Amino acid sequence: MTDRTDSVEAAIDVRALTRVFRNVKAVDDVTMTIPRGEVFGLVGPDGAGKSTLIRMLATVLAPTSGDALVFGHSVLTDPHKVKPRIGYMSQAFSLYGDLTVQENLDFFAELRGVPHRDMASRSKRLLEFSGLTEFSKRQAQFLSGGMKQKLALAATLISEPDLLFLDEPTTGVDPVSRREFWRIISGLHRDGITVFVATPYMDEADRCDEIAFMTQGRIILRDTPSGMKGRVPGRVIEVAVDDYRGAMRVLRALPCVHSLEVSGDMLRVLVAKDAGACEGTLRDALAGAGFTVHHVTPSQTDLEMAFATLIPTAAKSTDASDGDILAVAG
Amino acid sequence: MSWRRIRTLIWKEFVQISRDRAMLPILFIMPILQLVLFGYVVGSDVRNLNLAVLDQDNTVQSVRIVDGFTSSGYFTVSARPSSDAQLKDALDGGQAVVAITIPKGLGDAVRSKRAAQIGVIIDGSDSRTSGVAAGYAAGIIADLSNQFYGTGGAAMTAGGVNAQVRVLYNPTMRAVNTMVPALLAFILLMSTSNVMSQAIVKEREKGTLEQLFVTPIGRADYLLGKLLPYTLIAVAQLTLTFLVGVLWFQVPFRGSLLVTGGGLMLFMLAALGIGMIVSLMSRTRQQAQQTSMFLQMPQMMLSGFMFPIDALPKWLYLLTFLIPLRYILVIVRANFLKGSSFMELWPQFAMMAAFSIAIFLFGLSRFSKRLAD
Repeated sequence: MTDRTDSVEAAIDVRALTRVFRNVKAVDDVTMTIPRGEVFGLVGPDGAGKSTLIRMLATVLAPTSGDALVFGHSVLTDPHKVKPRIGYMSQAFSLYGDLTVQENLDFFAELRGVPHRDMASRSKRLLEFSGLTEFSKRQAQFLSGGMKQKLALAATLISEPDLLFLDEPTTGVDPVSRREFWRIISGLHRDGITVFVATPYMDEADRCDEIAFMTQGRIILRDTPSGMKGRVPGRVIEVAVDDYRGAMRVLRALPCVHSLEVSGDMLRVLVAKDAGACEGTLRDALAGAGFTVHHVTPSQTDLEMAFATLIPTAAKSTDASDGDILAVAG
Repeated sequence: MSWRRIRTLIWKEFVQISRDRAMLPILFIMPILQLVLFGYVVGSDVRNLNLAVLDQDNTVQSVRIVDGFTSSGYFTVSARPSSDAQLKDALDGGQAVVAITIPKGLGDAVRSKRAAQIGVIIDGSDSRTSGVAAGYAAGIIADLSNQFYGTGGAAMTAGGVNAQVRVLYNPTMRAVNTMVPALLAFILLMSTSNVMSQAIVKEREKGTLEQLFVTPIGRADYLLGKLLPYTLIAVAQLTLTFLVGVLWFQVPFRGSLLVTGGGLMLFMLAALGIGMIVSLMSRTRQQAQQTSMFLQMPQMMLSGFMFPIDALPKWLYLLTFLIPLRYILVIVRANFLKGSSFMELWPQFAMMAAFSIAIFLFGLSRFSKRLAD
């Protein structure tokens, strides 16, 4: 089961995968390969088709057309060869709430054919590293959101899969648990497990080896996080001002400003790379318009900014409409 | 198929049932409750019906006739009108639901072994009471006729009542004796199809079904893992219902456990099949509940469970042949009350097997197809 020496190079090889629900193409002709051992992040607005794509790759949903090979086995014709190699965590909690933590682990270990001699040691180790040891006799429905997700992850890991599909695993989870969850994923990554994760959070996407942006059933961008940021034509300046709504109007009018976005109580302004000492221009313009400027400092391009600038172009080139992508992706 | 996986699924199902505070009472208290309710309410005997007597003969024979009615326990004399008009008033006013008129000259006729007539008038406004009363009256008159004329002697006829009718097999006409065997089958149908559909819909609703299908579990594993626990529970329910029926309601069991049990098991296939079909038609547990009820209604009405099917309009009567409950009711009732053998019941068995297996296979095929989505 843990044989990672197959001749096939890619963990996942998606070929023109399409799924149609009634008349809507939830996943529209997606082709891509994901190398082994990578943490691959899938981002995109709600309804972009992320879950549908993952469910097809995890063999729980049949494609309308196209195919995907997971470790060289077709999800269409050989799902029984795919299933033993993968773990899948769906968006909603999908373990048995009325079974205890330990019973859930035992249940999935038995179903997935974990050798009896390994069961106790594996579940002990998984409980420890997910911090659930002291809750092992508690019914899953009485766990907190974060603990539920960790249990779900532990249950998918009990059979030591080579590839893990995680569909928004930290949605509705508190920030501390989210960090812990990603610490676990980093550990899996070091063990050589391939992780395919859909996430709405940019900070999580930043921790992936590669990210793909999906909208309206299509993957329109794919790169490493630093590659994504590097593609942004310009640099970011952070502006703190008393009335940022009013300030936005003033800044948009400046020729050196490419675009801007609100982040917390600050404005992040994208300016052209060759704009030189643009900070001064911004400060003067705002002060001239009567705003109290707290600070204007150069900052890092982040993924959010990257998507905001790159998606409209990418969407046009794949001839998807770009209407409200910005708003949703932001 | 893997026995390890099936065993795990069965274990899981029982752990869940044992922790479900709503499920346990439903599984074991509801059948008893239904039995007791149906047993006492629907199956209660009609006794102490108010009887109006217009005796215009006043002979030894006419007094014996009245005694025959009152000593049966089914009738109490509540009015003794002296004319037809008064008799009509008694019926109209509800002082009596049954009236007998004994014409002058009846005693003479009996003594000289000539034909005699008694009028029996029954208030038909409550069809159940009137039907039963007519049956009792016919039985009583037939008995008296035998006493007066000796067995085989005809000639005493009651108005509108065929004195030749005798109530066989259930001589005391205890409705509970026909109700309890029928309830065995009905409870099996309701509980199995309900619980089965609920269990599957719950898994889909909670998303656990999807999680199961990423495991190497096959459809056969999953189905057996569901069917076996609920079959075991159904057998427990049946045993419980049977014991309460026989021990508490004193329903005689004259037949063979093997034929009854075998028939019920065969019938359970239909119940399980209906459960699967309902689970596929429903997204939520409430929907499943309502769909089950919707499907139970016609089965209850068109199977002879509570109402006789012989009197149905032809097109509706033909429909009853499609309902497996119809056949199992004949089988269990015949077994309990008549002790009929398998050889006598095989046509019912054949029909029931055909429909039950057809429903089960249909459910199974739809089930396999839909689970993937």
